Amino acid sequence: MKLIFTVISICCIFYLTALAWPGKVTAGEVAVEVKKTVDAVVVIVTDNDLKKKQNGQKRRAALKQAIGRIFDYTEMARRSMGAHWKELTLVQQKEFTDLFASLLENTYGGKIESYNNEKVLYGKESVEGTHAELESRVITARGNDYTLGYRLLRKEGRWMVYDVYIEGVSLISNYRTQFNKIFNERGYSELVKKLRAKSAEQAE
Amino acid sequence: MKKASVEAVVGVFMLVGILSLAYLSIRLGKLELMGGDFYDLSATFNSVSGLKSGASVEIAGVEIGRVDRIELDPSRGYMARVLLRVRTGAKLTDDSIASVRTRGIIGDKYILIKPGGSDKILLGGGKIRETESAVDLEQLISEYIHGKI
Repeated sequence: MKLIFTVISICCIFYLTALAWPGKVTAGEVAVEVKKTVDAVVVIVTDNDLKKKQNGQKRRAALKQAIGRIFDYTEMARRSMGAHWKELTLVQQKEFTDLFASLLENTYGGKIESYNNEKVLYGKESVEGTHAELESRVITARGNDYTLGYRLLRKEGRWMVYDVYIEGVSLISNYRTQFNKIFNERGYSELVKKLRAKSAEQAE
Repeated sequence: MKKASVEAVVGVFMLVGILSLAYLSIRLGKLELMGGDFYDLSATFNSVSGLKSGASVEIAGVEIGRVDRIELDPSRGYMARVLLRVRTGAKLTDDSIASVRTRGIIGDKYILIKPGGSDKILLGGGKIRETESAVDLEQLISEYIHGKI
């Protein structure tokens, strides 16, 4: 009898602790979220029907949709722009976000489409309030491997990626340096012109 | 009487000498006796190889503070935790990026801050989340020369 009471009270304590800690995240939640998207992307790029040349546009659109579900382009654009973001009007911010998103799609789309049976292993995940970081290792068919990390932000109950780093080199940091330089030297209009040109060049 | 005044002059001379020496040590050792003009921030890196305490913290090449302490952060799988002392005048947003950089090819390591555009300003005791570790140039070169397995 005493044992049953003890077990029940321990269960109650655990239950109450769980209730009192609403921000607690179950282990691996971020990894599950990222894995879902990565798996969806792999399904698209390995689809033989979509690989056909005439389906190129369809494939890119499917990729864009799958990746867009977890990538927060507005947050990425805002962070890449850094201190100059506040100097832009709302219209300019929207224009810049769209351009930045298409630059990313065109730059990385081709790389993702050249997928060749790379394996992805998920590593350590750290969650701190509304911020999370997840590390993964990508192993190529030839056996080379590199670290691919994600930084995520919890927005409206969902984890959204705002930065990606490869071998410790951050994507946002790279663009922030470049955008800041162009903005300071030649202004916003020149930056937009450059982004458009680069995006078009990558799309070819 | 005369002897006493000579001794007093020597005493004063010694005192001035000691004070000058103390002043010189503080200036050369870059010690801060009063911590009023600075606030502390921390940042966690995967590796800070080559970074030393006392290294400068810069924005666009302008020094805004110094590395106060470097220690292991066992709570995050043995990463390096760097404590920075930043001048009060330099306000950093919570999306600032801290990178370990090298001056020149083989120069000293320092911390470069790339300011962000967020509305939240980091207060004393705050943490810079976005960090970039030191790139191991020697490792990259050796992988390039000998090939990566």
